[in-house]
Amino acid sequence: MDPEISNFETEMNRGFLQILVLALLEKKTYGYAMVRNIEQLGYEVEENTLYPMLRRLEKSGWVRSQWEVGEERPRKFYSITEAGRSLRAELLGIWKKQDRILSQLIKEKRHV
Amino acid sequence: MFEKLDAYLEEISHFLSGRTEREEILSEIKSHILEKAEQEFGEVTPEALVKVISTYGPARRVAEKYLEGRAIIAPAYRRYLFRYTALLASLHTLLAVMAVVFKKTFVIFPVVFMPQLGVADLLMYLPAAYLADLGFVSLILFFLTQSGKEIRLPWPKLSVDIDEVKPRRGLAGDIIGFVLMAALSIAALIVFFRHGTIFFVNLDFIRAKPLLTPAAGQWFSLALIGLWLTETVRLLVRFFVRSPWVDVVRGFVSLLFVAMMVSRPVSNIFAVPLPEWLAPHIRLSVTITLFIIAFFTALDFIKSLVIALRKRLAAKAAPSRS
Repeated sequence: MDPEISNFETEMNRGFLQILVLALLEKKTYGYAMVRNIEQLGYEVEENTLYPMLRRLEKSGWVRSQWEVGEERPRKFYSITEAGRSLRAELLGIWKKQDRILSQLIKEKRHV
Repeated sequence: MFEKLDAYLEEISHFLSGRTEREEILSEIKSHILEKAEQEFGEVTPEALVKVISTYGPARRVAEKYLEGRAIIAPAYRRYLFRYTALLASLHTLLAVMAVVFKKTFVIFPVVFMPQLGVADLLMYLPAAYLADLGFVSLILFFLTQSGKEIRLPWPKLSVDIDEVKPRRGLAGDIIGFVLMAALSIAALIVFFRHGTIFFVNLDFIRAKPLLTPAAGQWFSLALIGLWLTETVRLLVRFFVRSPWVDVVRGFVSLLFVAMMVSRPVSNIFAVPLPEWLAPHIRLSVTITLFIIAFFTALDFIKSLVIALRKRLAAKAAPSRS
């Protein structure tokens, strides 16, 4: 892919991935499982993008994490907080609005 | 078996800051890589680890993802980095020239130590001094950035801003400027050759009364005429060569003439008798005026040098992008 387009795609993905992660974390899960889950949904995510994002979401209080050492190796499980649910609802509202605007432009065959 | 993984994590660790945070980040990455190797290759082997690590990405890039949005120096301070460094470098240049001219050591504890320098020492001292100035300013701006506070950095409007874009004069303006400077320089030379000075008490050129003693009058006249001639030559050269290095050379030569003026003691330079109570004030005023001129000449030289170097770097970068 053209590097310029790749940069734009990265910017677009950043917002979408945040909403997607907040939606998936309704159920407690860990990083690798989340990557596989997202891939099964038909979306590609770089692991080295996902983990820093989870860290930022946790620092802001949207998600929480906990290390669990019960299985063969320790895993860090993430889940959404109440504040994260509120944020998710707002972001979904914004995303739906953006989708509606673009859909209307496509329908009117304007600029697209 | 985990040597490759440990080496990879060690490399990421080099680029991360904050000890507690770093350990947790590395633990999470390690857990992910081991799980992925086991899930996708059946078991954790050195070969599986190498493949998983290669898909995870280069260590520096991985670390940078955790550091996004944390600038060392805020982008908005970039201009001040050059401004303040140029200011300090000008002061350094001025003090260094004084150390050579006066053959003295200057100390302003704890920020300035300028040993007595020879001319060759000056050429070796200044580059290191400029680097130290850049480091000092960078450190201050780093702490300001990390404080997270909204701080408005001071910078007076002295028309010495490196980024200031002045509207270009047309050819007519350049010609007029050159003609005026040339006329001034020639007139000064004629007066100098006739009277040995260009500083007079009266404007009667037939019975001219010099303001300064012959030696002082000659000295300061030559320095000032030198400055005017330097500017005249610069304006002439610019008709043919539009290089920023012309300004750099002008700045350097001007600095030498200003150093010549500053190097002469201002006591007993006047040929006219001064009232006893007024003499010290006049001497002090002359000294301060000369140092102000010297400072702004040094600042102008540094500004020209920075502009020339930035244009050179930009010109080198432009072909590589295309």
